[in-house]
Amino acid sequence: MPVTRSWRDPTEATLAKWLLAPAFLLLGLIVVYPVGRLLVTSVYELSLTSGLPAKFVGLDNFAMMLDDPVFWTALWNTLLIVVVTVPGSMLAGLALALVANMPFRIRWPVRLALLIPWALPLAFVGTIAAWFFQSEYGVVNDVLRHVRDHKIIWFNSGTLSMMAVCLTIIWKASSFVALILLAGLQTIPAEMYEAAEMDGAGRLRQFWSVTLPLLRPSIVVAMIFRTITALQTFDIPATMTRGGPGNATTTLAMYIHQTTVDFLDLGYGSTLAVAMFVISMAVSVVYLKQIRTNT
Amino acid sequence: MSPLILRRLAAFAVIVNGLFPAIWILFTSLKTERELMQTPITWFPSAPTIDNYVHAFHDQPLARFVFNSVLVALTSTALTIFIATLAAYAIARLQIGFRNTALSIIIATSTFPLVTLLVPLFETMRAIGILNSYAALILPYTVLSLPVCTLVLVSFFESIPADLENAAMVDGCTRLGALWKILVPLAAPGMFTAGILAFVNSWDEFLLALSFNSVPALRTLPVGITLYQGEFSFPWPIISAALVVGIVPVAVLIILFQQRVLSGLTAGGVKG
Amino acid sequence: MIAKIGIAAALLWATAASAETRLTVFISSQQRPDVMRHAFDKFELANPGIKIAIQSGGTTSELQAAYLNTVMSAKDPTLDIFLLDIVRPAQFAAAQWTVPLNDQVGDVATLLKSYLPAYADADTVDGKLVALPAFADTMFLYYRKDLLAKYNREVPKTWTELAATARIIQQGENNPDLQGVSFQAAAIEGTVCTFLLPYWSAGKNLVSDGKLTWDRDAALNSFAMWTGLVKSGVAPRNVAEIATETTRKDFQAGKAAFSVLWSYGWQLFQGADSAVKDKVGVAVLPSTDGGQPVSCIGGWQWGVSAYSAHKEDAIKLVRFMSSTETSKQLAIEGSLMPVFPSLYQDPDVLKAVPWYAYALPVVTAAKSRPVTARYNEVSDIIRTQTNAVLAGSITAGDAATQMEARLRRVLK
Repeated sequence: MPVTRSWRDPTEATLAKWLLAPAFLLLGLIVVYPVGRLLVTSVYELSLTSGLPAKFVGLDNFAMMLDDPVFWTALWNTLLIVVVTVPGSMLAGLALALVANMPFRIRWPVRLALLIPWALPLAFVGTIAAWFFQSEYGVVNDVLRHVRDHKIIWFNSGTLSMMAVCLTIIWKASSFVALILLAGLQTIPAEMYEAAEMDGAGRLRQFWSVTLPLLRPSIVVAMIFRTITALQTFDIPATMTRGGPGNATTTLAMYIHQTTVDFLDLGYGSTLAVAMFVISMAVSVVYLKQIRTNT
Repeated sequence: MSPLILRRLAAFAVIVNGLFPAIWILFTSLKTERELMQTPITWFPSAPTIDNYVHAFHDQPLARFVFNSVLVALTSTALTIFIATLAAYAIARLQIGFRNTALSIIIATSTFPLVTLLVPLFETMRAIGILNSYAALILPYTVLSLPVCTLVLVSFFESIPADLENAAMVDGCTRLGALWKILVPLAAPGMFTAGILAFVNSWDEFLLALSFNSVPALRTLPVGITLYQGEFSFPWPIISAALVVGIVPVAVLIILFQQRVLSGLTAGGVKG
Repeated sequence: MIAKIGIAAALLWATAASAETRLTVFISSQQRPDVMRHAFDKFELANPGIKIAIQSGGTTSELQAAYLNTVMSAKDPTLDIFLLDIVRPAQFAAAQWTVPLNDQVGDVATLLKSYLPAYADADTVDGKLVALPAFADTMFLYYRKDLLAKYNREVPKTWTELAATARIIQQGENNPDLQGVSFQAAAIEGTVCTFLLPYWSAGKNLVSDGKLTWDRDAALNSFAMWTGLVKSGVAPRNVAEIATETTRKDFQAGKAAFSVLWSYGWQLFQGADSAVKDKVGVAVLPSTDGGQPVSCIGGWQWGVSAYSAHKEDAIKLVRFMSSTETSKQLAIEGSLMPVFPSLYQDPDVLKAVPWYAYALPVVTAAKSRPVTARYNEVSDIIRTQTNAVLAGSITAGDAATQMEARLRRVLK
């Protein structure tokens, strides 16, 4: 049946295209050219410090990457940060959100506590944390002073440095998680809990059978972005440890930044970036499958 | 222990965890540099001074930095939410074949590390002629937050039953009318969350702000604060004062905004 | 959109108003733009038709490089001349971001001879003059005059002497918080100098003519010297987290008998807030046993952008900014260290900054860090390994092996 439709009443597909247009237009404008250039550069040998023109080398850069010990160290560190800080910040964030959702009469102190870690500019969180963990003038050792008699020199040890970095990331990121989960908690209708209570479910039971399942979409959203941002970890270790001692806390993003901005090796830097993109893309596709098949 | 005490303890722990660094910065901003070099370190300022605040305002146009940051963050947040709402609605509600693809593409753009896109982005900004303007930051910040905000809103829209909108549309509402009158108010917590995420993403950003705006009058707070540094010197007391000045308006803004949104939500319910 | 129109309008206005040439200069807000402005005013006066605008970026060498690298990678024509940290001219020249100055400065050899010796090295790449010195900086040995007098000790000439003197002072003062010497071993640029000081003092070069001239013994001795200071308690155990500013603050708070530090410390040590006011002396850094005294040179260089639309005028300006006249003015008005040895004995300069009288032997003994287009990689390799050795997370032998292997790959 042919129907003439006015622009006020388009088909769903047409409407969808219009609604998605601004997003794609903007992404196209801002992202397509840079990303396209990145992909092209990754198959060229192009180092500005060599003074040589760009040379097509196919997948040579990728072969070089597989042989590069710093790449593997950085990759390992990055994965370690993902494996530690994603669950860490999810759990901490869930706890924060649950507390923030409690029916206190005065809510703003808790909410403020949730938001302040956000308001502190990221570029300074690492610097502040470095100062907190500093062996001589840091507050962490000042507290520990009462427990043990000699100072821990956190940044002398790769393991301790990594711990300090992870703790800082968890601190900063858990409020991101808490914010998303809090929003999710607020959409759970009170009737659900009432119904569960009538069925004789205790608090713990309610948490498992009402809160968690209904929170699932929010949890997945937070997980996806927490994972992507964890894979891209840059500012905190860059300002806190500068990747040290040695390369013990160098992340992939730091190595890419160093290669492109400091070393001006655009070809190899792009190759590393493409590798990183493939990894984070793979991870998000897996997550996305999860979320989309459940709705 | 009674549940109330447990709750209060939990709240206390959350408050200490969130506020401790900020309070430490506040105390530091009242100390002299000399006091910072004492060992064992002092917690409370032994002779509080406001000199650092005087310096912070005098040495750099701090108020301007805060203003720029708030302006850029608010504008890009509004833009992000608007665009993300439209896109999320299309993905969550409309019967189209390419919804998963659309969502995947939007998410995919966020998986490119920004640091690697710096130079081509600079070229893009120059090509459209907006280097050294607020727009040079607003546009990329919008792109930065678009994926996470879209995904948050999609998951919110999907958690809201479609019946309400359908009813409204039966009553003669257009689709977009239903989106605006029914879905948006119901998804207020999601909107609020997406808004804060977008706001903070731009509030935090450093590298683009450093590279795209070299005019001092356009500097944002994260870049502005680094100007208190010297090649080697890092005057913690003054930088702390500047951080405090930067954090306070944002905290107030967010709390006010949040109170309003939440109270509107619980009091109003669904308005037709 | 409005912003765009605004910019377009501003550009139109600028082109309409400019029968004159407009040069844009990039400096940091910490590099005394106020004092530089005076010099620019003088230049404008002498060169009617040229107007100079200052653009100031981040305040640290790293932030400046981050900005410049982005702008120059994008081949942006906005900037005409810029200040470069001493370690960068070679990189900028290789990337063809700067214009060679050979043809515009007369006899290059004569010109370079008038500057401090290290700058001839730093600003020449493959025979091309790629930048000219703006103002100097170098690492000094700061010492506590009062403590040396109290224990009747001379200013140490070698690191061994320094260690012995420091031990005596530390034991005599009986203050567990007093460090013998404060130096930097965090993964920062200054740590490259830390590594190189004893290495150079032994008469070895790390890089000559862009080629690696590695001396494993000199490297091992450097590590051994520094770790020795830590092990004997002369230097603190946490050196691996000590950056330049920590040294400055510790010394200023009276917590160290000696320190290895750039020139900016002096003025702060004489400040009202300082615990060591009038108790500080400066000297050239100690040498290794049997070695020669050296220091590490810093400072900033003027380069002319290859994308500048007014290269000739820009070069003229750079010539003026690196002249004796300007260097003297910068020293007097801004305490920016002169780049000409002669100015360290100039009565006007010494009247304004008396302590420069002690600085001449230090600045003339100073060497420049390796001059190579891939300096940033070289720097990264040296600082990471040195930091790791002093953190105790790797042995000196392993670090030397890794350092050599990586340097060979970069400087092949």
